[in-house]
Amino acid sequence: MAERMSALSEQSPSIWRRLDPAAALGRLSESRYWMYLLLVPSAILILAVVLYPTVYGFQLSFRQMRLNRPDLGTGFVGFKHYIYMWSDKVFWLSLRNTAVWVTFAVVIEFALGLVAALALNRNLPGTKIMGVLILLPFFLPNVVAGHMWALLLDPRLGVVNDILVRLGFLETYKAWFADPSTALGAAILVEAWHGFPFFALLLLAGLKGVPDDLYKAASVDGAGPIRQLRLITLPMLRSVIAAAVILRVIGLVNSPDLLLILTGGGPGQSTQVLSLYAFQKAYKDFNFGYAGALSVVMFVLLMVFAWAYVRVSKVNQD
Amino acid sequence: MITTSRRARLGWNIATYAVLITLTIFCIFPLVWTLLTSLKYEADIVTQTMQYIPKRITFDNYVAIWTQSGFPTLVFNSFVVTATTVVLCLITGTLAAYSFSRFHYPGRGVLMLGYLVIRMFPAVLMIIPLFILMRGVGLLDSRFGLALAYTSFLLPLFVWMLKGFFDAAPKELESAARIDGCTRLGAMVRIVLPLARNGLVATSVFVAIAAWNEFLFALMLTTSQGSRTWPVGLQLMVGEFQLPWGVLAAGGIISIIPVMILFAIVQRTMVHGITAGAVKG
Repeated sequence: MAERMSALSEQSPSIWRRLDPAAALGRLSESRYWMYLLLVPSAILILAVVLYPTVYGFQLSFRQMRLNRPDLGTGFVGFKHYIYMWSDKVFWLSLRNTAVWVTFAVVIEFALGLVAALALNRNLPGTKIMGVLILLPFFLPNVVAGHMWALLLDPRLGVVNDILVRLGFLETYKAWFADPSTALGAAILVEAWHGFPFFALLLLAGLKGVPDDLYKAASVDGAGPIRQLRLITLPMLRSVIAAAVILRVIGLVNSPDLLLILTGGGPGQSTQVLSLYAFQKAYKDFNFGYAGALSVVMFVLLMVFAWAYVRVSKVNQD
Repeated sequence: MITTSRRARLGWNIATYAVLITLTIFCIFPLVWTLLTSLKYEADIVTQTMQYIPKRITFDNYVAIWTQSGFPTLVFNSFVVTATTVVLCLITGTLAAYSFSRFHYPGRGVLMLGYLVIRMFPAVLMIIPLFILMRGVGLLDSRFGLALAYTSFLLPLFVWMLKGFFDAAPKELESAARIDGCTRLGAMVRIVLPLARNGLVATSVFVAIAAWNEFLFALMLTTSQGSRTWPVGLQLMVGEFQLPWGVLAAGGIISIIPVMILFAIVQRTMVHGITAGAVKG
């Protein structure tokens, strides 16, 4: 009996160790499937909350579903929506506007973000507070950013108009969002203001990870700031840049928020983009089927872009 | 030689200041203007000649937005949704990012692309079916349901960004810990996570801001005051009551205060970022 007891007490530490969740997880991490197990929690969440609705949405694009026309039913209509899209002038206009919108916004935002990050990374005295202030616009929600710029650019109360008139650039106040020739440009300005801190913050965080030794070695070898940027900084930031550009493009293509608040696609259809058009088809016309088809086309175009971009920047090979 | 390099440095310093001052003005002028507008009487906003510096100041707009609407509830709802989203992302996303960063295995490339593809799903395509699904499981018009939706579409952003930071953390220290008898999990928790700490904080802040600001999903998935977040509430007020510019501006200013506090904390953590320290030292 006493022997047994002592055997038990000798065993108990190892039993305790076996039941300890941290130790159990530690042993689990030595399994050859550990890299897959790490993905399980996020994968479950994504499958349940993203994949199912999306598959549902895909099949919606092949169905008739108009909430305000229940008499039409919800039967399958094949490629009807896609065929209609081919002859839909607004669709082609939205596609063109989306390309303009995304290209200009990303190029301007990346350029401003890189300049800001490089300038902030020099850590000159007094620039720390500017770093905080420059990053601020990104924190602002679209709802506030939109209304703020609507106030700034207002045709009657807009301070931007007032300044431009005082400086002599404008004769009279201009209705930026009411003129089809300036509406998209003005919206891109707002988007650039709103989005460039995203690049600045990511690139700055990336820059902090670049070892100083590389720059010291480069300047000993006689490389100037421009060559250091080209030969050290940009290559070292490659994966951060790739991630930032892809995420921004996806965000810009998919989210109609800012344009919805600023212009609602107008005047006419001059600021209509694909995401906004799909949104309006769903929420104004209650035409869920056609909205689904528009979203599917948007999604396929994005997939092609991301595939090509990942190929080009070779982020998978590091 | 020395004088030219000193002169060059002076030139670069001047250029740096010029760039930063210009960008700062561009960034904060709309904010300053909104702040000024929020402090003006409505009569001073709608004037013939622009008032740059308000002649008189009032806090009426702040009192109006805070007491005459459900704004406090809206802000609290947003806070709960945001916090829940960040916790869910940290738990699930960190593991996935670590897997992608540290292991090379069959299917890794495809899986990474898969996570990216999720991010590309158009919100408009997901929103209607998600509405039906959430209604089916009783998560419609609930803060947790909204946080779940946010987590799932913010996870890819979180994972991809964090992978970049994990990649930047030197692998040598981890190998040394493994040789000293650490399990893989031990090496990850004790070596890699502390090394990537500023990355973890930066990515968490991104997710928090995205959740705090989100508009479309909240508009669709919340239907009552009980779970409605503040961007939706504010936008609805603009539509319903023809919200005056001053009150709208006050609401906007209130909404960015928590964000500014959050960011102030991140600034400090980034300065003392342990990754940079470890790499340099």
